[in-house]
Amino acid sequence: MNQLTRSQIRDLMEQVLKNQGKVLPDDDAADLREIGFRSLDFSELALRVEDETGEELNFDAPGLRRIATVGDVLDFLLQLQQQ
Amino acid sequence: MSDLVDAQLVPPATVVLVSGGSRGLGLAIVTDLLGRGLKVAAFARTVTPELEKLAAEHPDRVHVGSVDVTDQQASQAFVKEVEQRLGPIDGIVNNAAVGQDSLHVHTSTDGIARIIETNLTAPLQLTRFVVRRMFAKGLKGRIVNITSICAQRGFPGLVAYSATKGGMDAATRSLARELGGRVLANAVAPGFFASEMSAVLGQTQLDQIVRRTPTGHLTEPEEVVPVVRMLLCEQTNINGQVIVVDGAASI
Repeated sequence: MNQLTRSQIRDLMEQVLKNQGKVLPDDDAADLREIGFRSLDFSELALRVEDETGEELNFDAPGLRRIATVGDVLDFLLQLQQQ
Repeated sequence: MSDLVDAQLVPPATVVLVSGGSRGLGLAIVTDLLGRGLKVAAFARTVTPELEKLAAEHPDRVHVGSVDVTDQQASQAFVKEVEQRLGPIDGIVNNAAVGQDSLHVHTSTDGIARIIETNLTAPLQLTRFVVRRMFAKGLKGRIVNITSICAQRGFPGLVAYSATKGGMDAATRSLARELGGRVLANAVAPGFFASEMSAVLGQTQLDQIVRRTPTGHLTEPEEVVPVVRMLLCEQTNINGQVIVVDGAASI
């Protein structure tokens, strides 16, 4: 299975935010609420990753609720690709 | 009531089949009906110690089994066992269901199919089978479908689940018409249970639901049970209705 690296996912995340006129900070500890990255933005990012890898990434909502930082997003999607 | 009207009435249920009766609301319904002297058959994928205890306490009035509601053959075999042990079934509570907590776009197609099969297809098939048995024996009966406030209000993460519950509400109305008063068909639509929701929703969402509920609390199974019992046992002429039990949260 074709998997994206953390850096590649970060690039896609940057693109999602850029389309809304927002900026992705370099710091992985940045709070998602502060940068305006919402749950549907996460969905968009996950679907972009799917487009790149050609594999569906399905998951339940509780996992999403634990995500609070940029690093959490990247970790979650990396982990999801490995399942 | 006149003799003529009496002859047309659907008598209270005496032998009730409860799907998903091993825990939560299903177990509470089983416990309540037994306490009222009814005979109760309950099945679930896993028979819990609580349900086993009830069976041991009331050996002549309880029949339990480990059955997956989506296994049509096993469900039908269970119905026949119940008839042998307790007598003909004249009441059914379609309670077995699987939940959902995933955005529609991130729910697998298999997951969607499973929710529909368990929450919509299986209860329709079980109802069909039980009603056929009732009619073949010239019996009248009562159907209670446990649906959800999700059938009437929108909630994120519950798209397929809501669709199945809405489907069961719609089926309830058509069953009431189709069964011509020989079988009373109603649905009970609980609001969010505290126990379920605390596992699924964040504290902020929970607080928001409670704030918007005039009675100030989430629904408890014990608050739904009397409504189910009424629909099974009382003479009310309620038929084809969906009764919401949610403290007016959805009003």
